[in-house]
Amino acid sequence: MPEPIRTILAKHSREPDELIPVLQDVQKEYGYISAESVRGISKYLRISENTIYGVSSFYAQFRFTEPGRHSVKVCLGTACHVRGGATLLEMLERGLGIHCGETTEDKRFGLDRVACLGCCALSPVVQIDKEIYSRVTVNKLTEQLKEYE
Amino acid sequence: MTREKKLKVTIDSRELEVRPNTTILQAARESDVYIPSLCTLEHLPSYGACRLCIVEVDGLRGYPTSCTTPIEEGMVIRTDTTELRSLRQEILKLLLSEHPASCLFCEEHDECKEFQGTIRKVGVTTGCRYCPNDARCELQEITEKVGLTETSYPVYYRGFSVEKYDPFYDRDYNLCILCGRCVRVCNSVRLNGTLSFKQRGKLTTIGPAFDRTHLEAGCEFCGACVSVCPTGALSAKVSKWYGKPDTQVTTTCVYCPVGCRLELQVKNNEVIDVLPNYDSPIDRGLICVKGRFAIPEYVLSPERLGTPSRLTPVGYEVISWDQAIDEAAKRLRGTKPEDKLVMVSPQLSNEDLFVAQQFTREVLGSDAVISSMMIDLGDDLVPFLELVTSSSTFDTIEDARGVLAVGFDSTYGYSPVGIRIKKAGREGALLVTLGACDSNLDMLSETAFQMEPPQWAEFLGSLVDYLARGGKGKVKIRKEWTSDIERISRIFSDSSTNILVIGQEAIFSSGRREIFEKARTLRDKLGWKIIVAHPYTNLLGMLAMGAFPGAKPGEFLKNGDAVTVDLPVIDLAKRKKVVYLIGEGRFDTIPDCDYLIYQNGLPPVASRQPDLILPASLFTESSGTTTNGEGRVLKIEKATEPFMDAKPDWWIFNRIAEKLNKGKLKYKDVAAVQAAIKKQVKGFYGGRKPVEFARINAERATKWLRGAPKQEGQSSGAGNNPSYRGIPLARVVAGMKAIDEWVNTSLLSDKEAQ
Repeated sequence: MPEPIRTILAKHSREPDELIPVLQDVQKEYGYISAESVRGISKYLRISENTIYGVSSFYAQFRFTEPGRHSVKVCLGTACHVRGGATLLEMLERGLGIHCGETTEDKRFGLDRVACLGCCALSPVVQIDKEIYSRVTVNKLTEQLKEYE
Repeated sequence: MTREKKLKVTIDSRELEVRPNTTILQAARESDVYIPSLCTLEHLPSYGACRLCIVEVDGLRGYPTSCTTPIEEGMVIRTDTTELRSLRQEILKLLLSEHPASCLFCEEHDECKEFQGTIRKVGVTTGCRYCPNDARCELQEITEKVGLTETSYPVYYRGFSVEKYDPFYDRDYNLCILCGRCVRVCNSVRLNGTLSFKQRGKLTTIGPAFDRTHLEAGCEFCGACVSVCPTGALSAKVSKWYGKPDTQVTTTCVYCPVGCRLELQVKNNEVIDVLPNYDSPIDRGLICVKGRFAIPEYVLSPERLGTPSRLTPVGYEVISWDQAIDEAAKRLRGTKPEDKLVMVSPQLSNEDLFVAQQFTREVLGSDAVISSMMIDLGDDLVPFLELVTSSSTFDTIEDARGVLAVGFDSTYGYSPVGIRIKKAGREGALLVTLGACDSNLDMLSETAFQMEPPQWAEFLGSLVDYLARGGKGKVKIRKEWTSDIERISRIFSDSSTNILVIGQEAIFSSGRREIFEKARTLRDKLGWKIIVAHPYTNLLGMLAMGAFPGAKPGEFLKNGDAVTVDLPVIDLAKRKKVVYLIGEGRFDTIPDCDYLIYQNGLPPVASRQPDLILPASLFTESSGTTTNGEGRVLKIEKATEPFMDAKPDWWIFNRIAEKLNKGKLKYKDVAAVQAAIKKQVKGFYGGRKPVEFARINAERATKWLRGAPKQEGQSSGAGNNPSYRGIPLARVVAGMKAIDEWVNTSLLSDKEAQ
């Protein structure tokens, strides 16, 4: 078991109720829940790996793939959807060769969709890390991505 | 026992007296009032998922689900009003909106069952058999009872591909209605946790973590989920297209010494499926993969021996029983007793074993009736038998406050014992495991120690020393173990009941002699209970029946005195004239011989060809009894006629005896054998209580075995490789082979990782 997991587990008691707090701590430390983490948690809390996966897949806050160095979030709220957000997402999926929710093999980009970023007037909107790009087009986005290593 | 005061309630204008502390649903069912429900399961707490069991109760708002509402004095309940009926129909419609419904709603529905006469259907002759559950489907039954004849919603097909890559059962989650029974039975009854709900809302699916296969996820293939599924989503590969069985026969499993009760499903004189018996006090319906899935394929194997045959220079020649008996008698006649050897399988019934020993002693005039079990254990046999005959009942685990399992894993066998241990662990008993790799008990254990088998004895020894001295004085313990041993012994010594479970890996480890001795110390000095989880099904019956060298029938049973086992020296390196194998399929343990008689259900696993083959019937084809690991005598019932010309073992002995020496063995049927056993072994069929065995004097263990084949730690036959009558199940049962291969590859990758 990797050291950080051990430290995280040691902060919690071995009660099943601790599952969600433990998962939250693991996600905070690693950015995602790996199969290895699930194994460690299973042994410590005495809950089967499958049950842990079941519980964590219920909540949108937990993810099972390693996040990329840069997170790309495509807004698919009503306004962005109307103005071509879905096309952007499709282009990104094709261009990066991954599906929504996955990370490229070189760990450069992680791709996600969000429901609304709250700036509908600027639609369609894409967020890369903390930067918000407005009135995005396919060409603009392709250029923009090159700036992120 | 104080008598519970009955409650007076009114259900559907009938005044009834019902038990207190039940739900409305239970009370109604016990009073023969039907309320539909898809998610309730006996033995499990209420769940309230399907909403079909709604009722009206005076004074309660809305329509409470009867499975979650406790019954109270004076309740007035209505279960079948117009309102309820239309609500239930609506709920069922919604449930069915994700379930292919062409078998439920069809113009031809009523005629179809009888005639299958329409040309509009797929497969005129086969009927609409796209779902394996047709005609035994709970969903069909409930749709009929709720009175739903059509649906106004479009049926949404989820479009999952059918999962067929795991052994024993297929999964078509397009038919799943997400009632959650399988998830609950896997987690709460089997305490295994392979199945879980994944995602949520309309994306919800059922299965293990990370898209793993069931094998990878630790599935035990116990089939509990298949049994409780109300739809055709889960179905057993072997039996799925057979439809409804004709009859059901209750019998006892002979694959291991637990002695689970089984419900054999019989159709057209074939065992098509096996279901657990939840009322059995021994196993509580917690049967393992072998009993659940490995019986039909074994007994219906295309390799079954069906006719007597004899080896000629150009191959086997089929002969009649008369010729075969003549041939056997000719070979056995005239040879000296020491030139003959009879080997019996511990998986035979008590009756067959009794006749086998009588045949050897009275007809052949020899005492050499042995078993490959004896050779597996070699000179450690006597200490092993001493522990086995004083083994505790499985129930004792339920009261245990501390359990130590050494080399024990119940994934693919010994489930009723394994689940009892897990349950004790979950309910707060101290559970410690000692093994070479991960076991299925580790998840619920307080500590899982992993070390190579040769160190187990030393670890156990340190623990025993520490416990025996009560922590006082100096005990030599390896440094790395000291703190752990101190911690667990503190808990063990505070606990009132401790149990040591010795698993198969421990029995076949090189340090077994020492493990047996430590177990004896724990039992005699510290009051621990011992359970030996060995693979030899009817070992206790073998001892009781005297199918054992130097012990006549009944000698091993409790008559006050301790028994000293005096084994005659057996030299396997010495060539024999005739070897007669009954239910033994492994040839690595038998001596060279001029003539080999092979009496079994399937051909042997060996290059040496038997000279004479006598086809024997299997446990589904003959009656008798078997003795389980606790000493309980359990009935084996005949479910089908024997395969082709196969005959029960006792019948074959009888016939050969008749030829050799008129008048010695004259049994007409199994009942006659049982009458003879009753005379010689007093109190054997005594009833529900286990047969008690005399204490075996383990100090005087002689070196009795000579010329035995070299064994490297593990036994080649019975160890982790379950077999029936000497034939590994993996050889005839496809799923067992898949499991075997998986276990081997995962063991290899574990070793590489280390």
